[in-house]
Amino acid sequence: MYAFEFHRPTSLRQAANLLAKAEDGRVLAGGQSLLPMMKLRLASPGTVIDLGGVPGMTGIERKGRSLVIGAMTRHAEVENSPVVKEAIPALAHLVSVLGDPAVRNRGTIGGSLANNDPSADYPAACLALGATIVTNRRRIAADEFFQGVFTTALEEGEIIVKVSFPVPSRAGYEKFRHPASRFALAGVFVAKRGGEVRVAVTGAGDSGVFRWEAAETALQGRFVPKSLDGLKPSTDGMNSDIHADAAYRAHLVAVMARRAVEKALRR
Amino acid sequence: MAFTMTGEVDLPADRETVWAKLNDPDVLKASIPGCQELEKTSDTSFAAVVALKIGPVKATFRGKVNLTDLKPPEGYRIAGEGDGGVAGFAKGGADVALSPSETGTKLAYNVDAQIGGKLAQLGGRLINGVAKKLADEFFANFARAVSGGTADAA
Repeated sequence: MYAFEFHRPTSLRQAANLLAKAEDGRVLAGGQSLLPMMKLRLASPGTVIDLGGVPGMTGIERKGRSLVIGAMTRHAEVENSPVVKEAIPALAHLVSVLGDPAVRNRGTIGGSLANNDPSADYPAACLALGATIVTNRRRIAADEFFQGVFTTALEEGEIIVKVSFPVPSRAGYEKFRHPASRFALAGVFVAKRGGEVRVAVTGAGDSGVFRWEAAETALQGRFVPKSLDGLKPSTDGMNSDIHADAAYRAHLVAVMARRAVEKALRR
Repeated sequence: MAFTMTGEVDLPADRETVWAKLNDPDVLKASIPGCQELEKTSDTSFAAVVALKIGPVKATFRGKVNLTDLKPPEGYRIAGEGDGGVAGFAKGGADVALSPSETGTKLAYNVDAQIGGKLAQLGGRLINGVAKKLADEFFANFARAVSGGTADAA
């Protein structure tokens, strides 16, 4: 074991101060990405600041037309929450197919969003639902938050506090997961709220999560799978690797999008 | 594990200026993502320290950067390789070609990169996205240096 400083602050302000002071400090949320990398020595922060002792950062609440989830809320809590199942069942489903039981019982929504892994599930939900990410400093719209592979709008010392999801009239999520890592080779979240349809794709693009605008336009006409007939995203900008090439990923996105719409209508 | 990509950016400067910047250690240091040190060891080679933070991973690479196939002012190959200690190794390069365009100079690039060791074992599903991000950042930074901080890469 190599040495690092460990802090467990009891307020958000204290956490932010520690983070500002620390040279090479990292925030620990659920630790499902950071800790494996530390064990492998691929990350060796000088200071680890555990948010587990900060009150008020967990919980799920329906607030009028929004569903608000605290940043330190574990995936399993979201998966099993009656409030989530009632308000946005697609979100409860998304979490049920995220990672493995260990990840779901330790990982948090805030950690997943701050990490912005290009194949993670939560970014697709945030982008399609038009969520607002609330930090210790400001509110950030999902459209501005995700800025490419492992890159977000978060500044140095900024900590996610909660996420607010506007409740859609219909939503669905489907992913084709890699059998070993369970990350999405292609995952599509569709959401309809009033006259607006948003379609977000994770795992497939080479710059992380993105909105598939052609599908949004098509579904705005009629929100049925048939509206997507013949529609496929361009292979430009699709990731291509040993797991799936760009053409296959584009095909998967088209299929997952149709299934996501079917699922959204089944409710 | 290998990766390739191509692209081009339009730069608002004449070819001679762009060529000079491509050979300027200060500009290269400011353009290479995470470059902490870049020391000239000969006219065409540099010793480099690059610290990369990508998601949960943070690794410091020590290595060298070489300029070869120099054809002033038409282009060259810039290549680097670094040892990231326990993380593994990374090496890569770009063939850079400059041609005059209506607004200045067109810079076309052809990037190839390879990683090995733990990074490759674990990063297999991420290498493409990360390599693209780093190459995009390099050329965006370089475009900013050439245009004096006003333009972004295409």
